[in-house]
Amino acid sequence: MTLTMLSGEPEVITVGADLLGEALDFQAVPRTRVDWRPPMPGTEADLARVLADPRRGRANETAVGRLVSARPQLVGVRPAHEVLDLPKGTFLHAGPPIEWERASGPMRGALIGAMLLEGLAADAADAEERLARGQARLDSCHHHRTVGPMAGVVTSSMWMFEVRDAEHGGTAYCSLNEGLGKVLRYGAYGPEVLRRLRWMAEVLGPALQATLERSGPLDLRALTAQALQMGDELHNRNRAATSLLVRELAPEVAEAAPGHAAEVLRFINGNDHFFLNAGMAACKVSADAARNVPGSTMVVAMARNGTDFGVQVSGLGDRWFTGPAGVPDGLYLGAYGPDDANPDIGDSTITETAGLGGFAMAAAPAIVRFVGGDVSDAMAATRSMYEITLAEHPAYQIPGLDFRGTPVGVDVTLVARTGLLPTVNTGIAGRVAGTGQVGAGLVSPPASAFTTALAALAEAVDHGNGSV
Amino acid sequence: MVRVRTGVYHDSVSLMRVSRAATALPGVEVAVVAMATELNLGIAAELGFDLPKAGPADLLIALRGGGADTLEAALAELDGLLAGLSAMPAGGTAVEHPPHTVRAAARERAATLALVSVPGPYAFAEALDAVEAGLSVMIFSDNVPVEQEVLLKRRAAELGVLVMGPDCGTAVIGGAGLGFANVLRPGPVGLVAASGTGAQQVACLLDHAGVGISHLLGVGGRDLSADVGGLSTLRALEALDADPATELIVLISKPPAPEVARAVAETIAKLGTPVVTALLGPGQDDLTAATETALRALGAPVPAWPSWPAPGTAGEHAGSLRGIYSGGTLCVEARLITGSGEFTDFGDDAYTVGRAHPMIDPTLRLEALAEVPPGEVVLLDVVLGHGADPDPAATLAPAIAGAAARGVTVIVALVGSEGDPQGLNAQAEALNAAGAAVFTSNAQAAGHAAEVAAGIAR
Amino acid sequence: MSVGTRPKARRVHVRTHGTGAASTTLRQVLEAPRRPARVLAAFPAGVYLEIRTELEPQVIAVVTGQATRLPNAMVVSDPMPQVAVGDEACVGDGSIDVGRLSLRAHRWWNPAPPLGTVKVAELVRSLPAMAGLCERSSRRSGLEGNGAADLLAQGCAEGSLLKSVVAAEQLIGLGPGLTPSGDDVLAGLLVALRHLGGATGADRAVWLADWLAAAVTFDVRGRTTPISAALLHCAARGEASGEVLAVLRGLAGRQSLEPALHRLLQLGHTSGADLAWGLRIGLAAVIDLEGRGN
Repeated sequence: MTLTMLSGEPEVITVGADLLGEALDFQAVPRTRVDWRPPMPGTEADLARVLADPRRGRANETAVGRLVSARPQLVGVRPAHEVLDLPKGTFLHAGPPIEWERASGPMRGALIGAMLLEGLAADAADAEERLARGQARLDSCHHHRTVGPMAGVVTSSMWMFEVRDAEHGGTAYCSLNEGLGKVLRYGAYGPEVLRRLRWMAEVLGPALQATLERSGPLDLRALTAQALQMGDELHNRNRAATSLLVRELAPEVAEAAPGHAAEVLRFINGNDHFFLNAGMAACKVSADAARNVPGSTMVVAMARNGTDFGVQVSGLGDRWFTGPAGVPDGLYLGAYGPDDANPDIGDSTITETAGLGGFAMAAAPAIVRFVGGDVSDAMAATRSMYEITLAEHPAYQIPGLDFRGTPVGVDVTLVARTGLLPTVNTGIAGRVAGTGQVGAGLVSPPASAFTTALAALAEAVDHGNGSV
Repeated sequence: MVRVRTGVYHDSVSLMRVSRAATALPGVEVAVVAMATELNLGIAAELGFDLPKAGPADLLIALRGGGADTLEAALAELDGLLAGLSAMPAGGTAVEHPPHTVRAAARERAATLALVSVPGPYAFAEALDAVEAGLSVMIFSDNVPVEQEVLLKRRAAELGVLVMGPDCGTAVIGGAGLGFANVLRPGPVGLVAASGTGAQQVACLLDHAGVGISHLLGVGGRDLSADVGGLSTLRALEALDADPATELIVLISKPPAPEVARAVAETIAKLGTPVVTALLGPGQDDLTAATETALRALGAPVPAWPSWPAPGTAGEHAGSLRGIYSGGTLCVEARLITGSGEFTDFGDDAYTVGRAHPMIDPTLRLEALAEVPPGEVVLLDVVLGHGADPDPAATLAPAIAGAAARGVTVIVALVGSEGDPQGLNAQAEALNAAGAAVFTSNAQAAGHAAEVAAGIAR
Repeated sequence: MSVGTRPKARRVHVRTHGTGAASTTLRQVLEAPRRPARVLAAFPAGVYLEIRTELEPQVIAVVTGQATRLPNAMVVSDPMPQVAVGDEACVGDGSIDVGRLSLRAHRWWNPAPPLGTVKVAELVRSLPAMAGLCERSSRRSGLEGNGAADLLAQGCAEGSLLKSVVAAEQLIGLGPGLTPSGDDVLAGLLVALRHLGGATGADRAVWLADWLAAAVTFDVRGRTTPISAALLHCAARGEASGEVLAVLRGLAGRQSLEPALHRLLQLGHTSGADLAWGLRIGLAAVIDLEGRGN
């Protein structure tokens, strides 16, 4: 056998004592220095067990391969009661499962709005009382192939984007985006909020469904790739993607729903984030394709319910690993300040799970100020995410990094080793139910979500290999 | 004064250097600058510092000495030193966003091997990164569990790379010295070594004889144990056999486990390249003899190994013998040759807890030398090369002169090459001028020491 | 950690001391007593020094890690010394003193590492591959279509020392630049004949290399630039840059040929292409001469 290092010029990666690295410098040996630091406290033993798992390498290759090869297509817009197992009186919500008692202000506000929207309560006080008595059944969106931004509350009468993965055959859903300001997803439930939701169910949803029936499936992978090159990161900036969506759909809307075309297009066009929900469903269907690969340490969901931040890992089925949701750091609208902010909330972290959002910050210099930084911070944010991800996305590329693919596929072991937590871009909801959006910024997930997932992976190593 | 800095990490060797510098600051009596590991917290507590809560990811600074102002000034000075550590070393590739793992480094930059010297419990992850990226890896770190070593070496075998270590102190790949390594001329001899200082001795003697080496592949002290089964030794032998630059292989180890010895013998029998084995044990050739065998096999002349006889008349009488060693294998060899005497290997784990290796930090050996009573014979090794003390004679020579003045006979085994950064001749002359007899062959130094101790020679 | 001990005197690194990795070709001139030298040429990535000595090489290069690792070079990790053409320098007693830097070798590399045994069938496979890659490259030798170069190829293929020497005489110093194209072709040829000939046991090729080398180096000084003359002396002993050595390993099937050849072809204005052409002539000659007795 031959060893390649024995012929030609040695080039060395050094990690550890700088004294030994400097000795190589004195010999003019080309070297790359690793800026190493100890892993997250208490993870040494778990890391050693998980890294030693012989399944890990191939399992992660499979998982991330599925994630990046997914071909999400927008195939329809359908009422939730038709496509989801969602009887009246059952509401889906963002993040890991939560009950009313532990729910935060905006989550409670959105649930109150849901009760009112579905005609299950006379007024807000009545709704609150019924919710407190447990009259509504709550479940996590993620348990139903669904994601929802912010509170992410889905009721049976809402219309949903339906996205299919043409590669692996999965389907995922997300509600339609209501726009900015006082909206249900930020916990607002006033009359104008409910009026808009009813219009969306009566006019917008059916119009879009008719439109997609005429146009056929819309390739979201291609649209996302284009939007990234036009300055979106697809979480906090969706302006290019929304514009592209309007451009694709407008003629078909005009033909499919001539009576409502103007108001429908005006509504979509008036909301830079209209694409977000379709994009989230696309990310969800891609991440779901990577689920349940035994031995894989890749994260397939990151989600927050306003109280807890939770992650799910490919090799660990549907289990959630949670920690307290943090308060985002960012800029505030008008007179709002950090005291008005609710802890992190929403399923929109599915974009980061799939390599967009905070991971693609370098693609979106236009919003770096919005999230409190300059262009070099955005570049650094994306670069640092390559440290904790398994792959670079073949289709989603960043012009400013020489068309390098976005970092994709968070590896729990790399998070623990580097101490680098996923960078998440997010909107900030008001703390008090009914306030709506108060700002936007960056947030760090709790480390404990990843360390507990790592511990579970370590436990699964023995079971997994024992049963093979 | 105690300070804890969170989110700051420096490697232990760098911090030891800062600690030493801190102790030198005006008014500072005791200084501890270390990562707040359980061990280091314990040491600081023993020294009487009142410690706040801190973890291994925090930097602990504990100072005692003159007034508060003095300590504040010392602290400011210390911060300057620490900032200097964070700055990129002059020659290292300055990158804007240095990678945090070997995996990330291997993904972004071309490389042929990795050198891992993080604390033992963390070495596995970095080494595995290298192996999985198709790179050979040298693991300088010790305290790596044996099952991790076996796993790494098995994975390396699947992927066609070599794992050198753990606890591999020296390697030379294509002339590049890794860890503690000497500046050696390129040449036809390939070395496979389960012993770091043993390999350095053989390589330096070959260099004195004008014979160069192709590569020196360390395998780690446990490789030839029954647990590891010689996984790296066998691969290293095969790799050198396939290497066109290698005409002769020297295998250096303590005697392997019997079943491993069989596997090694079988592999050697299959090689096209001749192999000289130096197995340190009773009845075996010492390292110098093995080197001479290798030279004869190459048809190269065996020179007189350079030595510098003691100048004075100290130690005329027989006395008991003490070995004060920094190299484990050299210590074992000397003990085998002398057959008696009290030998201490200061490079052993028991002496390096919370302290740099004696090849970097001479403190303990200097203390031991100072305690030797008159009339005794002291044998000690001085190892030169990359990574080692930049000027060992600067501290040793005065200590040797002091010992000689007390009537102690000092004999030094100086392991180094002419090309070493410290300068072999300058070091030998300084030690010799202080009163020591200096030998480049440890076996000859030990033989001489035994004779002096027995009153046969002076 | 050292606790409570007094500090020990440490050697202070003088700022002007530098270290690097040197070719073993430099060992002799470095270990010899100090000799005066002067700066022949200075570039951002390298400085050439001419040493007043009878030893070879009389010209040495001090280069950064980014530059080509010439067989007569010391690679330094520190920034290049700030010097101008004509500046005084010193080489010997273990160091190269140039500008404000005093450089010592902390590593040695062999510019002529043995290739080991290679089957001629391997070379037969490599020849069309190399030819194809060279033809497809936009980097062309400065001597394409030159009669002397064609004569050299013919002479080598026939094992004719006379024709080879006649051609070589015409090629020495032919072309512009620090290393004229003719010299680069000859250097590539000499290295290929020696290494590939030795590796395949083609004694006639090694014999040709010996005599051709003697003829070329006999009066090369004065017929070409001092830098090129020094490199031809190196090539005569089979010493070459890392890029050339990598191509040799590629031809021998020890590593992938295409990237190695691509790197070689990128060197200089036409230097890399000229060297590659010389290697090709040598490769073809070794194949032709293998099996023929001396």
